[in-house]
Amino acid sequence: MAVAAEGPGGLRLLALDPAAQALGLRPGEPLGRVRARIGVPLRVHPADPDADRDALLRLCRWASRYAPLVAPFGPAEASDGLYIDVAWASHLRGGEANLVGDLAGRLARANIPARIALADTPGAAFALARHGGADRIVVPPGGAAEALRGLPVEALRLDPGTVAGLKRLGLRRIGALDALPRGPLARRFGEALLLRLDQALGRRPEPLAPLTEAADYAAARGFLDPIGRQSDIVRTARDLMAELAPRLERDGLGACALRLTLHRVDGALRALDLGLSRPERDPERVAALVSLRLDRLGSGLDAGFGFETVALAVTVTGTMPARQTDLGAASVGDGVGFLADALAQRLGRALLRLEPRASHLPERAGRGVLWVAGEGHGSVPGLGRGRTQAPLPPPSAGEGGPRSGSGEGSAGSGSGGADVKAGAPFCTAAPLLRDFVPAPPAAQGTLPRRGGRERRGSDSSLSASPWPDHLPPRPLVLFPRGEAACDVLSTVPEGPPRRFRWRAQIHRVAHAEGPERIEAEWWREPGEPRDYYRVECEAGHRLWLYRDGPHAPGRPAAWYVHGLFA
Amino acid sequence: MGLDPADETGRASGRTPARGEARARLAALRAQLVPPADGRVSCPILPLGLPALDAHLPGGGLALGPPHEIAPAGPADGVAALGFALALCALHLSRVSGEALIAAAPGEPLPYGHGLMGLGLDPGRLLLLEAGGDGEVFRALEAALHARALAALIGLLRDGLPLKPGRRLQLAAEGPDPPLLLLLRPAAAGMPNGAATRWRIAAAPASRDRFGTLDRPRWRARLERCRNGRGGDWLLEWDHAAHRLHLPEPLAGDAAASGRSRA
Repeated sequence: MAVAAEGPGGLRLLALDPAAQALGLRPGEPLGRVRARIGVPLRVHPADPDADRDALLRLCRWASRYAPLVAPFGPAEASDGLYIDVAWASHLRGGEANLVGDLAGRLARANIPARIALADTPGAAFALARHGGADRIVVPPGGAAEALRGLPVEALRLDPGTVAGLKRLGLRRIGALDALPRGPLARRFGEALLLRLDQALGRRPEPLAPLTEAADYAAARGFLDPIGRQSDIVRTARDLMAELAPRLERDGLGACALRLTLHRVDGALRALDLGLSRPERDPERVAALVSLRLDRLGSGLDAGFGFETVALAVTVTGTMPARQTDLGAASVGDGVGFLADALAQRLGRALLRLEPRASHLPERAGRGVLWVAGEGHGSVPGLGRGRTQAPLPPPSAGEGGPRSGSGEGSAGSGSGGADVKAGAPFCTAAPLLRDFVPAPPAAQGTLPRRGGRERRGSDSSLSASPWPDHLPPRPLVLFPRGEAACDVLSTVPEGPPRRFRWRAQIHRVAHAEGPERIEAEWWREPGEPRDYYRVECEAGHRLWLYRDGPHAPGRPAAWYVHGLFA
Repeated sequence: MGLDPADETGRASGRTPARGEARARLAALRAQLVPPADGRVSCPILPLGLPALDAHLPGGGLALGPPHEIAPAGPADGVAALGFALALCALHLSRVSGEALIAAAPGEPLPYGHGLMGLGLDPGRLLLLEAGGDGEVFRALEAALHARALAALIGLLRDGLPLKPGRRLQLAAEGPDPPLLLLLRPAAAGMPNGAATRWRIAAAPASRDRFGTLDRPRWRARLERCRNGRGGDWLLEWDHAAHRLHLPEPLAGDAAASGRSRA
């Protein structure tokens, strides 16, 4: 079996399974020549780079169980492996050797062939994983130069031209390259060669592009016996939040968004994102919200054979000044905040509030925005929103793990690398992405608070109510766009209608007031001015009608019903 | 309750006071269990400010807590019913602090912020929830009732209020400090339920000010059903500035007269 893709001069082999490799095939050969040469049927699949990429990302998310910083290989590394930054995290698995053993065992159980190397730098780990002598290599600290000495120069992630040039000069091993004076090398092959060499040997730092930023506040708990009951998950979430709360309190922060990651025994992964209306660090409340969310998911949360690891990470923090929590009655806003969170978790729907906008057009002059605790009445936003961490939208469903066959990108070439480099200390699993609830917009209160048609004398943007109170009467219900009124009969050509048909009913006008002319917003899009009339029908219904465009002789008037008064 | 051997009244007569005491205690317990016979419920009340109306309602006003059902008289009167509900909400919010929640089933018209000003309701005190169906409206209202964080709740229903959710809402509303709970339903979606009152609202020509322009909205309100009270039919006028309901004088019929005589 082989995977082929369009290359120079037609289809070329991209990856091969062991049986094909045993036939002497190599990646990069033209497919036509291969078929002619081997004489046995070869099953060829077209390459699917997007699926490979998705599978690699799934694998990365799964690998975040070992350390929060996980980065997939980029184009320079042929995109078929991943780095795990296990600095300060290996002791959680009983040392580096045990970590590598655990990783290899889990990958093998998932039918993903992999080569794993653990070294001081990403470059060294990559070189050893790709070209090293064994499937599992653990280089002791400081041993990178020694370990790399015998490896071919291709291991340095160089472009093919440089590799060919080096080989023409007889420089086949990294050790030989490192022994040469640097100046002539740089002149001959450019700076990139020395950069790669230095990165591999740890002389220059190499920043990784991690999949998710590590959360500053995160806690995880592993279980010898997998848990599957909702009450157990909720209790674990409460315990984890109780672990995080003192750290948050020490920094004067609260959680605005949380991510609860559930690692299933079979490697599948489920992440629940909880958005909060305001910063929170009360374990009981977080547990209640988790419980509501699990209620809503019901059997949608497939526990399978149970979850072996539960991790809670604070993805968005907000400043939360210390306050008295025990004594005294909770303020009213508190209850509304919890209600908003409960509704968001239980129904998946956010509370909205109405907000005026500075526009003449009625349909643009108001809108619903997300309700945020402490806001309302146009006051300045009471809560400073902190940094947003890891709001990366999931590229796929966000659930997955190393199922068999999901790692085809690395399975074909037979070299998934797992690397290690020195980095900042993290001790918890990083969050993964699942139905990310967007945080309420951070830029609240930036709207001009003067609405409507008339100017207020002073720019009192912090007045009691942001709603203009000098507008002519506005309807209680406004249609998003005007609904056409037909068969309009007027006594005066430029006046209001006497009779019209709307929603299949004839309305006879008993009383009309107007017009109120509202110009189109020409700076947005050109349009006709509208003449609005308040109209009361004989049955007592009050409507808001408008004529699109001023009256002009010879032009039929177009009338629309735009709203209804109470 | 054992007998006191040192009692001076002796054993023969000593049983009677003990039994009397037990009877009194039982009566007190019964009084706690059974609601008063005159239908006066002990829950808080929102007086409508009109003696003519309040006399028809048990306790002298809309009971806070149990659901009140508001229906338009015809399909075209939906906005009038919404206006009446929001007027009641504004009346309540003018007396208490807190916010109101409107939970709307899809397709039900949501109020327009600038139009709320015309009813005397501050849009900043209104929260909206666009629910995915009547079931979600009930769940949201129930959660809000349990949370006890809001002063008034309005549910806009698409299919009406059945018996079971009505009963659930009523149970959730029990307890101290309940909010005003109003449920709006379409005209043709009536069904038996446990609502405390059922109103039928129709649009009526608005009052005119002295320049002859439209001034205050008026509705023809019929109290179709009222537990422990009497039905009635009134023409109501809403004064948004004073947060008051009026009975317009020249058009007021017998209801107004009887109300005044009663008051």
